[in-house]
Amino acid sequence: MARATSLKKPPEAPPRLPPVSSGPLNIVMIGWEFPPDHSGGLGVHSYEMVRELAQLGHKVTFLLPDSRPHWEVPGVDFRAPGDARDRALAPEVQPLRAYVSPETGTITNLSEVADFYNAWIASRTDLGRVDVVHVHDWFGTVGGAALARREHAAFVVTIHSTEYDRSLDHPWTEILRREEHGIAQADRIIAVSRHLRAQLILRYGAPPDRVRVVYNAVRPADSTPPPDHRPPTVIYIGRLAAMKGIDTFLKAAARVAPSFPEVQFVVGGEGPELPHLLHLAASLGIADRVMFLGRVSEAERTYLLSHASVFVLPSVVEPFGIAALEAMAAGTPTIVSKTSGVAEISANLFRVDFWDVEEFANRIAELLLYPALSKTLGDQGREDAVREGWRERAEETVTVYREAIRDRRLT
Amino acid sequence: MTQVVLELHLHQPWRLGRFRYLDLGSGRSYFDHARNLEIFRTVADRSYRPTLDRLLGLLDESDEFRFSLSVTGTFLEQARDAAPDVVERLRALVGTGRVGLVAETYYHSLAFLLPPPELREEVELHRELLRQTFHRDPRTLRMTELAYSDSLARFAEARGFRAMLAEGWPAILHGNSPTYRYCAVTAPTLTLLMRHFPLSDDIAFRFSARDWSEYPLTSEKFAQWLASTPGDFIGLFMDFETFGEHQPAESGILEFLTHLPDAVRTHPGLSWATVDEAAQGPPRDTVASPTVVTWADEQRDLGAWLGNDLQKSAFEAAQKVGRLVRLTEDPDLWTDWRRLLTSDHFYYMYVGNNASDRRVHQYFSNYPNPFDAYANYMNALTDLRRRALAATGAPA
Repeated sequence: MARATSLKKPPEAPPRLPPVSSGPLNIVMIGWEFPPDHSGGLGVHSYEMVRELAQLGHKVTFLLPDSRPHWEVPGVDFRAPGDARDRALAPEVQPLRAYVSPETGTITNLSEVADFYNAWIASRTDLGRVDVVHVHDWFGTVGGAALARREHAAFVVTIHSTEYDRSLDHPWTEILRREEHGIAQADRIIAVSRHLRAQLILRYGAPPDRVRVVYNAVRPADSTPPPDHRPPTVIYIGRLAAMKGIDTFLKAAARVAPSFPEVQFVVGGEGPELPHLLHLAASLGIADRVMFLGRVSEAERTYLLSHASVFVLPSVVEPFGIAALEAMAAGTPTIVSKTSGVAEISANLFRVDFWDVEEFANRIAELLLYPALSKTLGDQGREDAVREGWRERAEETVTVYREAIRDRRLT
Repeated sequence: MTQVVLELHLHQPWRLGRFRYLDLGSGRSYFDHARNLEIFRTVADRSYRPTLDRLLGLLDESDEFRFSLSVTGTFLEQARDAAPDVVERLRALVGTGRVGLVAETYYHSLAFLLPPPELREEVELHRELLRQTFHRDPRTLRMTELAYSDSLARFAEARGFRAMLAEGWPAILHGNSPTYRYCAVTAPTLTLLMRHFPLSDDIAFRFSARDWSEYPLTSEKFAQWLASTPGDFIGLFMDFETFGEHQPAESGILEFLTHLPDAVRTHPGLSWATVDEAAQGPPRDTVASPTVVTWADEQRDLGAWLGNDLQKSAFEAAQKVGRLVRLTEDPDLWTDWRRLLTSDHFYYMYVGNNASDRRVHQYFSNYPNPFDAYANYMNALTDLRRRALAATGAPA
């Protein structure tokens, strides 16, 4: 149906700006987690981003809070407190591991660790010329902003999720304060979805003209062709955190399990919700139908995401949801909650309200029941997921860097 | 003298309500009766009433003006419940004797792809409905979405029809013009009337397209185009809803229609005719179409309904359920099944790479995407299958 498009108001003329060099940039990226030791999208995003930035010819120094083993990336200089170079200068610097509880694996005194890391960041004087300081989330915002100011560099913050999201609206002030600091100080803020961008504007007062969206991606070259055979499994993979809405997944599984006796439900990942989820599965009477895998390796994760019959991401809050995109890239039909950022880049997945147990159950059952549906949804989803990759995302990020540098030079 | 043959198609499907997997066995109706009637009333306000009134006015004003209508069974069912005055208006039009009626399948269905006797039965149901409603026995047949093939021509001839409508698609005309009468190689007594798709689509698709080089289209300009098109007749076949619904009233489409007879009158070489009148006269040549040609999408094949795996599997499943339903004598099962055979349900499941086709499919769809359409349809069909199995006494 031919429809006339409405005429838009012509955009206002942009202010005249001094030219910005299009050459290679010196980027200091301040991270938190990094593969193989990572639990969420932030680690994957950091790894893929520095890899592409280095390949695009930029000089990247990546700061990490401690010198745990990490994947090496050609052309990227990794630094951490207490690493070999530090030890030569300041042998008293403690590695972060001192703050990690041996029982739970979680950090015991988060704000002390953060202060320590930020102080270390701010005192770096051995980084050479710096064009951009780029922080992920809240952890290194204080030190990153100070470093950028001292080096006259542009300051960019990428938000992968907010403290409101992670705490289901009961933010811890200590973290919120650091988030707010980063957003207030940044020349440019990158959100991983439009949904998140809107939140940053509404809840954090971020100026709209400073917030850009750069989605996550998958690496098309690495995504294996869809398998010929998928064992009848319905899976969730990710952190076992309250914001992930895994309760809904288990309740939906309980609704359909009796009609599909051959289907295995799988929960992969670790996190604080595990005891609660184990109890819930038992009380729903599906303890024998749900397999809790605990920690999954990269290889296991890739295998599971690409061989499942259905991938479910029922998050209450999901700024992006990279696991869904990985599942789609493998042709696995995917169901996500409506608020998931990943739903912004593809219509070829099922979207359900995060609270709607029955609708999750319906969608799971329909995908198990109708092979033509799961095949077509999987094929179409795969096309969307691999259309663009990390290279495009890195190029978008560089555009944001150059905007930030231009603005910094104006002030 | 070239005859202008305007043929307007009135159809509304029984759209499904949301029928979820968990609704299987619940006894809920598959069809959202209230929602369908609500849609019907909306379209009646926007299109049926104003356009029918204008057409009646035009017939009053001029003895020469005439046209034809095809009205599906599902349309008349909904009209009786939602807007009986629309049925009265249609009766008034047909009563003038200058409005032709065209037969088709009662359910606007894909019955023509099923083994006999389904097609014959649905065409007979429709004929009977037209007899009861309008006291007329149509001599011209059109198939769902203007589907046409050699075997459908043979069917039409065997059922006593004199003429059949088809898309004037170059692939079957082989350089011949669509503006002459033809007959099928398989059915020598059946006259084929071809749709002139460029001129039809100038009204149906392009009328309000501001980026079209001929925008705005006036009645005078269009009549001039008709006058400069040689042939026995010009087939302008389109959805009735073109007037006021697909092309909104604000586009001036109703004024265009109102002024068209006057504009045509200024050209002495043009006259109006019903489909039956246009079919009188010898055919110029024969036409062969071993495969089905329709009026939909860029390819004019069955791709709009059976182009992808979703559509094919849904149709196969519907066929299988049909075999079960035929073993029962439960009229509710038969009606539900036939309503599920309506082509629209398959149209909503289109997954294609042609962006403009996808827009048209989405325009007509009441689902957010083809996957919802498919899942919903399959749930309803699965439920119907269980009911049919229960009715035949077979174990589920």
